Amino acid sequence: MGEPRAARLIETALRCYPARWRRRHGEEAAELAALLIRDGTPAGSIAFSYLAGAAREWLTPRPSRRLRLAACALLVAAGSLGVSAGLLPSTVPARAAVTGQSHGPAYCRPGPGVIPAMGGPHVSGWETGHGRAC
Amino acid sequence: MAVSGRDGEAGQDVLRRVGEASVLILISLADGPKHGYALIQDIKELAGVALGPGTLYGALDRLERLGLIEPLPADDRRHPYRITAPGAAALRVHLESLERVSAAGRLRLQLGGI
Repeated sequence: MGEPRAARLIETALRCYPARWRRRHGEEAAELAALLIRDGTPAGSIAFSYLAGAAREWLTPRPSRRLRLAACALLVAAGSLGVSAGLLPSTVPARAAVTGQSHGPAYCRPGPGVIPAMGGPHVSGWETGHGRAC
Repeated sequence: MAVSGRDGEAGQDVLRRVGEASVLILISLADGPKHGYALIQDIKELAGVALGPGTLYGALDRLERLGLIEPLPADDRRHPYRITAPGAAALRVHLESLERVSAAGRLRLQLGGI
């Protein structure tokens, strides 16, 4: 394998590591690869070793990553609780509307846009229980 | 998660789960600080194991997180590492444990007449 091609291969493998790792070990790792290639180690095997190392680096849980994960989980939990709490008051009147009106789904009950017209009431727009057009 | 010196002295073998590469790195660093390339060369001579560079950096990071080795100021682009006191203690405990297992294995082979 040509030297530029080998260098490109190693560079590509090193790019798979997290940025934090590359900042710390990147230059040294490239130099180490060049020395190993000079000693006769195939560039492909070095690149493979770096790729496997990069995969391990991404998969190993770190304290900071664990904290970020916990924060994300809390945000998602808080978000879903907020959505549930937001839906609860708006679904209660909708259910009440179902019991009050015998026809049509609760979320498609006629809103204030009902206007009298020839041959019966003309509905200009249907509203949902949440104020959305149906 | 650093290993305290007390854990090492208590005889707990913290190296049992770190893998062969980490143990070989600690053995290589036991006679003085080395950087990545020197470690790979030394381990090849010492144990006949060709450590891949990806494996080397993974093991170095793990050992540093455990407080068993520490980086020295960079020499050009190379970062030498040295073994710490808890690292030396942990290595001693691990080697003693290996010796016990090895002796037991040899004895059993003798007894078995194999």
